[in-house]
Amino acid sequence: MMVKSIEPTLASHPSISPVGDNAPRIDATQKLTGAATFTDDIQFGPGLLHGRVVRSPHAHALIKSIDTSKAEALPGVRAVVTGKNYPGYLGLYLQDRHIFCRDRVRYVGDPVAGIVATTEDIAEQALDLIDVEYEVLEGVFDPVIGAKPDAPLIHPDLGDYVVANFIFPKPGTNISNHFKIRKGDTEAAWKECTAVIERTYRIPHVQHVPIEPHTAIARADQDGTVTLWSSTQSPFAQRNLIAKALGKSQSDVRVIGHYVGGGFGSKAGVTMEAPAVVMAMQVEGQPVKLRLTREEEFYTTFVRQGLVAEIKLGCDSTGKILAMENKFYWDGGAYTEYGVNVTRASGYSSTGPYEVPNVKTDSYCVYTNHPVGGPFRGFGMPEMHAGIEQCIDELALEIEMDPVQFRRINCLKEGSILVTGSRMHPTGLPECLDKAAEAIGWGKKSEPSGPNKRRGKGLALMWKAPAMPPNAGSSAWVELREDGTLNVGLGGQELGQGTFTVAAQMAAATLGVPFDWVRIASPVDTKYSPYEWQTVASRLTWSMGNAVVNASKDARKQIIDLVAESWEEDPADLDIVNGEVISYKSEEAMSLKDIAIYGLPKEGDSGWIGGPVVGRGRFMPTYVTGLDPETGQGERAVVHYTTGAQAVEVEVDLETGRVEVLRGVAAFDMGKAINPDQVRAQMEGGLVQGISTALFEGFKLEDGHLRNPSFVDYRIATSSDAPDQIEAIIVEVPQDDGPFGARGIGEHPMVPTIPAIANAIADALGVRISEPPFSSEKVYLAMLDEGLIS
Amino acid sequence: MADAHPGLPEFDYIKPASLAEASKFLVDHAGEARPFMGGTDTFVRMRDGVWKDRYLVDVKHLDGTSELGFDSKLGLTVGAGVPMNTLIASPEVQDHYPLLAQAAKTVAAYQLRNRATVVGNICNASPAGDTIGACLVYEGIMIIYGPSGRREEPLRTFFKGPGQTVLSPGDIALAIRLPIPPAGHAGRYLKLGRNRLSDLAIVGVTALGYPDSETASGFRFRLALAAVAPTPLIPIEAEKILAESPLDPATIDKAAEAAMNASSPIDDVRGSARYRRMMVRNLTRQALESVVSELS
Amino acid sequence: MAQHTLTLTVNGDPTTVSVPSHHTLLQMLRETLALTGTKNGCAAGECGACTVMMDGEPVNSCMVLAVECDGARIDTVESLAQDSQLDPIQEAFIESSAVQCGFCTPGVLVSSRALLDRNPDPTEAEIREALVGNLCRCTGYLSIIRAVRKSASSRAEAKV
Repeated sequence: MMVKSIEPTLASHPSISPVGDNAPRIDATQKLTGAATFTDDIQFGPGLLHGRVVRSPHAHALIKSIDTSKAEALPGVRAVVTGKNYPGYLGLYLQDRHIFCRDRVRYVGDPVAGIVATTEDIAEQALDLIDVEYEVLEGVFDPVIGAKPDAPLIHPDLGDYVVANFIFPKPGTNISNHFKIRKGDTEAAWKECTAVIERTYRIPHVQHVPIEPHTAIARADQDGTVTLWSSTQSPFAQRNLIAKALGKSQSDVRVIGHYVGGGFGSKAGVTMEAPAVVMAMQVEGQPVKLRLTREEEFYTTFVRQGLVAEIKLGCDSTGKILAMENKFYWDGGAYTEYGVNVTRASGYSSTGPYEVPNVKTDSYCVYTNHPVGGPFRGFGMPEMHAGIEQCIDELALEIEMDPVQFRRINCLKEGSILVTGSRMHPTGLPECLDKAAEAIGWGKKSEPSGPNKRRGKGLALMWKAPAMPPNAGSSAWVELREDGTLNVGLGGQELGQGTFTVAAQMAAATLGVPFDWVRIASPVDTKYSPYEWQTVASRLTWSMGNAVVNASKDARKQIIDLVAESWEEDPADLDIVNGEVISYKSEEAMSLKDIAIYGLPKEGDSGWIGGPVVGRGRFMPTYVTGLDPETGQGERAVVHYTTGAQAVEVEVDLETGRVEVLRGVAAFDMGKAINPDQVRAQMEGGLVQGISTALFEGFKLEDGHLRNPSFVDYRIATSSDAPDQIEAIIVEVPQDDGPFGARGIGEHPMVPTIPAIANAIADALGVRISEPPFSSEKVYLAMLDEGLIS
Repeated sequence: MADAHPGLPEFDYIKPASLAEASKFLVDHAGEARPFMGGTDTFVRMRDGVWKDRYLVDVKHLDGTSELGFDSKLGLTVGAGVPMNTLIASPEVQDHYPLLAQAAKTVAAYQLRNRATVVGNICNASPAGDTIGACLVYEGIMIIYGPSGRREEPLRTFFKGPGQTVLSPGDIALAIRLPIPPAGHAGRYLKLGRNRLSDLAIVGVTALGYPDSETASGFRFRLALAAVAPTPLIPIEAEKILAESPLDPATIDKAAEAAMNASSPIDDVRGSARYRRMMVRNLTRQALESVVSELS
Repeated sequence: MAQHTLTLTVNGDPTTVSVPSHHTLLQMLRETLALTGTKNGCAAGECGACTVMMDGEPVNSCMVLAVECDGARIDTVESLAQDSQLDPIQEAFIESSAVQCGFCTPGVLVSSRALLDRNPDPTEAEIREALVGNLCRCTGYLSIIRAVRKSASSRAEAKV
């Protein structure tokens, strides 16, 4: 049924709160008919100009000169711009990046100049006509080497950069953040340990691979204002960062975000949109479209930074973990304006979801001449858990304890003391662990499908808090229309994770109207939409949800107060159910459509009360405290944690090394599943994206050059690679300040997959292959080298 | 790294009315003109900036390029313009050349197989070409139209190196003809990709076997290896072993070992030489076991 | 640079366009005809977001020249729903939660519809194989496979 018919009567809809329902997605029909607008679909008419970006072919070099004259002379080229007149810095947590490089390029692909032309073809041809003279510098391609004091310096001006007060760069080095945990006494604790293991993991870079590449159209008008249409997770952050970098008022930068064809973090913050704006400023009044090719998508926006993790873990004879030492060297890439916080988040999460009394962690964000590391689903958690959850298994086996039992003993429960010193809130983690173990048939082996196959099972836990500044806020408004329907204004972006649908569910539930009476005021437009920090961190259901609920409550109060006045009743006796205001006392009823805009008449034609109903609401956490820079201890490091478990059963082919994930189980505690179907959709999608990064994905970087920048050689999971079966288990231990008890779930289903698979392979083969991707080749050669096969 | 353009670079599309016209155009514009059929390899190379031809000459519709025909004496003629899906679906191919259908089915994905062609796969001359092995073991003959008219070229001598064939400017591959296969043959194509389906071949093994009273084993085998040498490779030593000894597991192992030793894979972004060699051995063994089992 | 005038049928409508040699069918659909339902994900024939029907068979429209479509019948995602009625396969996608970001969806729908047209009762393995050229990063594919199976079943029921 395509056309929604509005029938504001009780009979047409059941009186159940839509929260907890599998409400159908409100964007589904548009997307299924091809009507949904993505940024490249917007029509601009024949005046649209096109841009292409000249990029550095070197990983690290000084720019000696740029000659744009030949490009400017090509017929059809309207403008060529370099960083010469744009000294401003961009950055979310650390301002370390120019819009176009000025004196130096720091990674292959770094933007050096922008070309605007009448067609994309002409702009592309002009790329070859820009002459740049470089002086190549020695590059840094390994974070451990980059962290050394004598490594070539990539950001000599690090000490001058504007930086958030919870990030600690080390000027004069390549370390842009050093986060420390010093808790208890690890040196003493090692002596008490029955078993200690030490491992090093190299986790490669991967990329988000949204099916929609980054796209931006910018128009700079002669009054100094800029409009930017972009495929973005963060309209307001883009407005803010770009305005700051250009010295403009935030009011003069307008960002419009349509549907996003996949983000996963790659479209958070600012990457290619800033060059698009500067290019548009060269041709005032005309829109300029910039789109990335798939190859550029792979390495010129954000990537998930590589990690070298050194982990030491020890337990006593009863299996209680006593101490942990971590050194994380994050391969942050050329600019770490966003990635510095991954360093921090992994630091304050560095025990994994376990209670560990003695912890020493050093988490370093290291500049390298590699593609730019930024937010990727999990924000450091997948990379970090990849090592920790394998160590947990190995340590358990050292003391001959079942890894699930080992986790039962150590995993966080309500009241557990966390790595930052505070206590764990109520959590369903133990329940997730037990349910995942049971669902995968832990302890039972199943028959392999042939004589040259081996089967195994593996499990891993995770935790993650939204990584964001302590004062990241949300706001929303709710207005009623003539027919009683709601228009909900919000600033969160629909990336496919169901933002609009759950917002509508929560608004409907709070206000008391049927679910399909709610519309979302989209696209998000910073000119009209209420502020939202960013669509990241799995924070929207919780934070934006609270704002939507507060706005709905405000609207609800206005309506009830109005009708109570009209009926001369106590507002406490009134309610709104299925779009009708009802009184439990007098049993009066009035449809919302009779009051939403026009108010109510007073007795005897003596005037009116009320008017258009517009509710407003906001939410911002107020209780996050700082952490001591030397110890990482603090009263409240984060807003909350979502926890969960994954278990997989794999089959390994001894003749080819191929690992097949037969089935997967995911059990997560998201407090309250506002829309269980969409929650399960995240669990399925996250598990498969996790499988893809575990088995197939990894950047092949050689001296800063990406050797596999296309789908041909950067393989992602296809329909033939998804498991036969995924069981998604919802555990609900309510979040005290979450709307209807909800907290986030978007990122978490991807976090434990790599170690779950590694543990399963080890179970299958008796040989541990610890660094992803667990490609057929890697597994086969490992089996060969271990003498398992010949 | 990415010199890939957003789309195809500018070129002129030429649709000649006859083979003679096409061939003349290609000769007159040698070095800046190229024939194409399905285009799937051509367009990718043009977009990547590897090929920079000014003219792309569409030869799909010309004489002899669009037919798929079977003759009980001459065998199967696959026109250069016949999409792989058409070939796969053909009852004659399924009945008489099942190995070719099997191999074609592993190429890329369904959408691409509606454009990609076997002759195009051959002319692209990637050592990893999936259908080339089947065409080799079916003893295919290329039918070419050139400046001096039609000629035939056995597939065995068609390849000169990676991406290089005996075709010269002005040549248009019209079709491949596969003679009637040996009676009672069975075949298997095993392809190893990095993920389950849709990948290129990291290693590909084609095996065809048929009863032959003149051999010690009573069977003769033809083998072809993909992605482990500069061109598609026929491991002659392995074929010899299979003809000269009884067909038992030891012989199959020996043949698999010989196939491995005949191959000379390289280390590249897709796989290491070491792994590929082992996979030649293992997949050859598997392919032979499968064919032997079908023959008995 | 040569321009070519083409006459073809697009979603049932006779259409005449003028295109340069090097434009793909995808560009013609999106840029010349403003039919933006079909998407550009890679321009290299790998991701399937550009899948459309050409003379009744699904193709990657980024791998077909516009000029090769003279006289062809092209059907895009926009042709599935008719007279405000969704195609059963679209309904099945809604019911199976098989849409998230929606960018792969048009291509997936065309490939799925093409599969059901040639194989009305596909097994799960056949569905997986038929869709292997349509990359999705959001759903993990299982909901899509369920949707196609559901659509096949409901078509079978409708026939009975």
